[in-house]
Amino acid sequence: MKSDCDKVLVIPCSGVGKVHGLISRESAYLATDELASDDTGVVCLALLVREDEEAMAKVRAHPCITVDGCGKACAQKNVEIAGGQVAKAFQVAAALRNHQGTQPGTGSELTDEGWAICREIAEAVAQAAARLCAGEEVAQ
Amino acid sequence: MTVGRSKTTKVGIISCSGEEIAEGTISRSAVRRVLESLRPDETVTLCLPLFLAGNEGERNFARTHPTITIDGCDKQCARWGTEKHGGPVARALVVSDILGGKAAGCGRSARSRRPADKEAVRLVAEEIASAVDAILGRDG
Repeated sequence: MKSDCDKVLVIPCSGVGKVHGLISRESAYLATDELASDDTGVVCLALLVREDEEAMAKVRAHPCITVDGCGKACAQKNVEIAGGQVAKAFQVAAALRNHQGTQPGTGSELTDEGWAICREIAEAVAQAAARLCAGEEVAQ
Repeated sequence: MTVGRSKTTKVGIISCSGEEIAEGTISRSAVRRVLESLRPDETVTLCLPLFLAGNEGERNFARTHPTITIDGCDKQCARWGTEKHGGPVARALVVSDILGGKAAGCGRSARSRRPADKEAVRLVAEEIASAVDAILGRDG
């Protein structure tokens, strides 16, 4: 088990209106709970919105990976506003463009196709986290 | 805030993003249930991180319509963010207050939803729907 200071923080989108937000969160959970549990941890995006000192100190002290739902990039922007460094920014909308015609589900529930897209994003998050933990550069 | 602030029949619901805790997932799932099933014609959701990211559409809606915040924990990030960027909220609900210890057996990922998760979402969604009715003067 790594110490907390070695962790990469994963900050997903909070959107509840569309499937994009649910995919971003489930991708983050899959990465942090299963694929890269030793290397990563999740931070509440709302704590950054709230200007919570502990959460802001955390994102300033660790490399961050954001998983946004759409191009508004709230997670990325809020980490940057908090003074954190976004080492890698993912966007679900961009991933969905590679899966034209799929039916990923709704903001409440994912289909099998939606879960497959989650896994694809989660694997990319886990790979990026592994590189960051190894001290390697990660291309945006 | 009073109902008289807006003659609209729409109430804005702002959910905690609480990605670190099960109560955050319960809050978002309960909001989805209200939007989709319980009060689909009376409610819309607003995205909390968009407030800080500077989206004027979200801020204006919160300034001109009654809002309900659903927070996972007593840090009440959704309430804090809404009141800072949009004005006073009509009702502020906290999942941990509604459920007490019932959230203990709940998970944060939709991959592993159990009966306890579904029951927690049902209870919180009914509280939100009751709050919507009260704001719109439709209770009783």
